[in-house]
Amino acid sequence: MTLNRRSFVTLAGAGTAAAFGIPAYLPRIGEAADTLKIGLVEPYTGVYAGPAENETAGFQLALDAWNKRGGVMGRKVELVKEDNQNDPGVGAQKARKLIDQDKVAALVGTVNSAVSLSVSGVAFASGMIFIDSGGHSDNVTGASCHWNTFRTCHSTWMETHATGLSLAKRFGKRWFLITPDYAFGHALEAGYKDVLGKIGGTIVGDELTPLGTTDFSSYLTKIDAAKPDLIIVLVQGDDYTNCLKQMNQFGLLKKYPVGGPQVEIEPLLGLAPDSRAGYWGVEWYYKSDLTLGKGNTLAHEFVAQSTKQFGKPPTARNCFGYVTLDRLLTAMAEAKSLEAVKIAHAIEGSRFTSIFNGPAYYRKEDHQLMWPMWIAKIRPNGTPGDKYDLFDVLDIEPAEGIEQSIAEKEKVCKLGYP
Amino acid sequence: MIHDLAPQVFNGLVLGAFYAIVGIGLSLIMNLTGTINMAHGSFMTLAGYLAFTMVSRGTSFWFALIAAPLIAVVVGILVERTLVRPLYKREPFYSLLMTFGLSLMAEEIYRLIWGPNGVPFSPPPGLASAVSLGFMSFPKFRIFIVVVLVVAMAALALFLTRTRFGLRLRAAVQDSEMIAALGTNTQLLYAVNFGLGIFLAGIAGVLAAGMLGLSPTSGNALLMPAFVTVIIGGMGSLFGSIVGGLLIGMAISLTTLWIPAASEVSMYILMALVLMIRPRGLFGEEGIFG
Repeated sequence: MTLNRRSFVTLAGAGTAAAFGIPAYLPRIGEAADTLKIGLVEPYTGVYAGPAENETAGFQLALDAWNKRGGVMGRKVELVKEDNQNDPGVGAQKARKLIDQDKVAALVGTVNSAVSLSVSGVAFASGMIFIDSGGHSDNVTGASCHWNTFRTCHSTWMETHATGLSLAKRFGKRWFLITPDYAFGHALEAGYKDVLGKIGGTIVGDELTPLGTTDFSSYLTKIDAAKPDLIIVLVQGDDYTNCLKQMNQFGLLKKYPVGGPQVEIEPLLGLAPDSRAGYWGVEWYYKSDLTLGKGNTLAHEFVAQSTKQFGKPPTARNCFGYVTLDRLLTAMAEAKSLEAVKIAHAIEGSRFTSIFNGPAYYRKEDHQLMWPMWIAKIRPNGTPGDKYDLFDVLDIEPAEGIEQSIAEKEKVCKLGYP
Repeated sequence: MIHDLAPQVFNGLVLGAFYAIVGIGLSLIMNLTGTINMAHGSFMTLAGYLAFTMVSRGTSFWFALIAAPLIAVVVGILVERTLVRPLYKREPFYSLLMTFGLSLMAEEIYRLIWGPNGVPFSPPPGLASAVSLGFMSFPKFRIFIVVVLVVAMAALALFLTRTRFGLRLRAAVQDSEMIAALGTNTQLLYAVNFGLGIFLAGIAGVLAAGMLGLSPTSGNALLMPAFVTVIIGGMGSLFGSIVGGLLIGMAISLTTLWIPAASEVSMYILMALVLMIRPRGLFGEEGIFG
């Protein structure tokens, strides 16, 4: 055979494939048989990077605990992480990559609700379990629910109904809303409209702000004219930090009470103490008997281990990550199977205790985790010796009183098991 | 109506002044070398974080307001000499891609050093509160930003028109080959001009950190308004950047009054309108450089 240019190129190509491609591919197949991979999609870049990092730390802690005990069904568990860039399209693409290339056994994540919805859709199409750890929009366990999708964090309905009544009682019924203009914000808005409808309150201003807004001034200058009893802040992450900081500079925090369905430690740490204020819904807190439950050793061990490993106390995000992966792996172990339908049946309905106050369960009808929420007042300076101790937890709201009833949920959510 | 309008107009003008400072820095660099500096926002963030680090170690805000941008200038000139300079002879596309890559890297580096969450950086105590203007109460710090814009513009105009170096800079914008042939070190001009643009970015970065917030993404979030500012005002015109900045500030603020959800898109609509009627931008041919 004479070696002309074309055959040389063909040969060289085949040789390169043999040298790099195939041997690189073989160990992956071997690996897939040994370790059990779970795909984690989070917004590691952008306004939610902080919460995403903490959620991942929570996943890591559950992962370490399970691997220390020998893994699931004798297999070591591994997390494969992907950045969804707060983009539902990118999230869906990364979910497909995790399913097709990495051969993950289930998907978990994500801080951004819009991405949770897109990942949920991809997982549904592939018949794979997805547990939404931290995206709150009602839809995930409401109109867009699927048999394969579960949610750990509270729904927007739970957040608004846990906080709405007590905020109205404390401050009055004329509210000015600052709302993030995507799935999560719209769902919160709907929840509060329901609360105000029941008690005869009014929304005197509702500013839809794009995710990633840096300057809130043009929205804030409208507040004085609206004369609200209360400013409700629905934006989260860096947007929350920017918004509260600018509210303080405009002198609004001195004039109006502020509050909302959800506050997290991460964005509060980005604020100087004089901009930390208000009454908020809290999803979990590392330093309160009301949230952890008296004498809950598992919770206290979680707090101690997390603080030691990551150099700061865990936040609600750490809790979401931990509970999500822990429940997923428990279900796999109980079902003794990686078959999605069997895992789903193992997750739903079973009552369990974990790192928070009281028993909880993923509701069979909509796959929403039913666990309490808490109300807290901000302590701007923390407590002596602990700058993270920013919440004074005042009250507990049991899940059944704040989530839509099963009858209401069944009107919109059809799980549709195969 | 007037009752609602006055606060929005005033706030829009002040916001516009801020966009103008960012836009002018961008414009300076673009005018001389055709470099579309996608890393402009990253230099803003860098100066913001440097100022934050200085202030949290006890330095005064005023010192940090000058020192942090100067350090950013040193980094900027290093970047210009090593990475941007080799691309001057190529299409603008190359330096655009390079600086874009640089901005992505910078964001990750800031995340590694200062963490993924925002950090608290407040205006100095004297400027932290609001002042009553009669028709609204307004943050003193935002009024201070207008003062900075006026001072910076006056200094820049004097530098460009009254110094020999500024004269050469303007000549180089018109014909860099001729001025090189006449014996001027154009490479030095390029480096100083880049440094000047970064200095303005740095000042804007420290101001933004105090006014808006400071996180790894905060500078990049301001990059698009800055580009729109330059495009509306017209490339090559510093005066145009001021007008462009004020116009988009007003557009954002007034849109918020009626359709809050469209406030972000309003500046792009304005840009589209300007480009359709006058593709060079409003002051694309005249101005200080023209």
